[in-house]
Amino acid sequence: MNAATAPRTARPRRPPRSVIGPLALLVFAAITWWAASEDFGLNFDVPRLFTNLTRGAGILAEFWPPDFSVLPRTVDPLLETIQMAIIASAIGCAVALPVAFLASRVTSPNLVAYIVDRSVLSVVRSLPDVLYALIFVAALSIGPLPGILALILFNISVVAKLLSETVDGVDQGPIEAARATGANRLLTVRWAVLPQVLPNYVAYSLYAFELNIRASAVLGIVGAGGIGNLINETRRFFQYDKLMVVVIEILILVIIVEWISIWLRRKLV
Amino acid sequence: MTSPTASRPSTPSQRAKHVATALAVLVVAAATLTVDVQIERLPDLPGALMRIFGRMFLEPSPEWSYLPEAFGSMLESIQIAWLGTVIGAILSLPLGFFGAKNITSRLVSNIIRQLLNVIRAIPEILVAVVVFIPMVGLGAYPGMLAIGVHSIGTLGKLSAEVIEGIDPGPVEAARAAGGRPLQIQRWGVLPQVLPEIVAFWLYRFEINIRASAILGAVGAGGVGEALVQSLVFRRYDRAGMVVIVVIVVTILIDTASGWLRRRIIQGGGGASPTDLEQPELVEVDAAAIQRP
Repeated sequence: MNAATAPRTARPRRPPRSVIGPLALLVFAAITWWAASEDFGLNFDVPRLFTNLTRGAGILAEFWPPDFSVLPRTVDPLLETIQMAIIASAIGCAVALPVAFLASRVTSPNLVAYIVDRSVLSVVRSLPDVLYALIFVAALSIGPLPGILALILFNISVVAKLLSETVDGVDQGPIEAARATGANRLLTVRWAVLPQVLPNYVAYSLYAFELNIRASAVLGIVGAGGIGNLINETRRFFQYDKLMVVVIEILILVIIVEWISIWLRRKLV
Repeated sequence: MTSPTASRPSTPSQRAKHVATALAVLVVAAATLTVDVQIERLPDLPGALMRIFGRMFLEPSPEWSYLPEAFGSMLESIQIAWLGTVIGAILSLPLGFFGAKNITSRLVSNIIRQLLNVIRAIPEILVAVVVFIPMVGLGAYPGMLAIGVHSIGTLGKLSAEVIEGIDPGPVEAARAAGGRPLQIQRWGVLPQVLPEIVAFWLYRFEINIRASAILGAVGAGGVGEALVQSLVFRRYDRAGMVVIVVIVVTILIDTASGWLRRRIIQGGGGASPTDLEQPELVEVDAAAIQRP
């Protein structure tokens, strides 16, 4: 087994170098240059950014200590945020269920419904929730109603998207069994598909609720109800110590809801 | 077969399910009954929505002469999203390594993970309003920085999870070949995880385009500002134009980025038609929701 007896094998040839890596790097650099350049982009200038940041750092000191005298005024808006998230989740997730079944090849009754449903979903999904809220506030004036509507649209797009993908992957056996007993399409969905995807559906709904709490906290910034209204009010008058209290409350709310949601989802699986 | 008298198995208990359902119904009912949405406004709702959508898209038609301006502000949003994603990607990569249990100790990775969780919990619009707009003023900068900071949270967490799932073989090989710690990471770990992490970056870029569109609504530049201005001045025809631009450009970029992500993950070999479908546009994928 010594080196002398081992047959000399040639070193394996190096695989040809791929051009994709350097090419991708080049494209990446080009886009970044475009976005950061003075003429075409944001005029991104790192040294100036740092002077701005260090000059602005003093303002951060005004956030501390938080002024808890604002606490009583935050209770109602905070409750409104939670109410908005609950109502929007309930309605949005309920609507998302049939929408998701139409958007899956397994359960969609025909190709037209499938294509229309998916196209509408991708259009709805491409507008972010706050932009919906802006439009609904313009249509309905300020208050929680435009916020709830914006969140409903957001929920439908998220839950229907996730659920339709789950439906795509269901076990075909129960569907065949249901068909063999003479069940029509609706009955097949009810007894062969729904039981398979129900745990996922509940998990997605909880997840959507979690996202809604986060979103409804900020929708008020554009006038759509909830604790976000207070963010706007306090920052307009530079009451950063009061703003800090609102921020802390939102953080605590988001984290608590996340814990509950994760705990529930874990029980589910 | 041998015991024909065997009784039918009893139906499994449904009590937990019923209790959970009842609780959920109760919570929703309580919220609906207590929220202050001015019920008397509800009948007017469909009419009001139809009116504004009519003014945005039908009568008068969207203002096409506003297209260059709307498109320009959308480009600004894209630039904000891109630079924000670049900042987030660069800063999150080392954090991903430090947050992986198999690279550092359990203690260090736990601390890093908790830090990333806190960053993730703060919406970028809040980061912009609370930290960066007061610090650097209105404009594209605070939006970009807010997106960068928020992206660190999600990208760092996802990177750490990918790094924890690597095959230890190449790491052992690099160590056996006498690699120094940094070289082990560079040659044993990075090549394994880079495709998936780059796919996450692209995916984050898609999400960040939406985020930067939102940030304009609080004065952080981009297409959100164009929409706010149009709505404030009741130029619904312009608002309609902005909405159309946002939808078209977003769908185009999502499609391109989604195709690219699939190519990166699966390697070469050409994409099948189904690969061109709309990508996932939620913060995490379905599998991650199933095992929180």
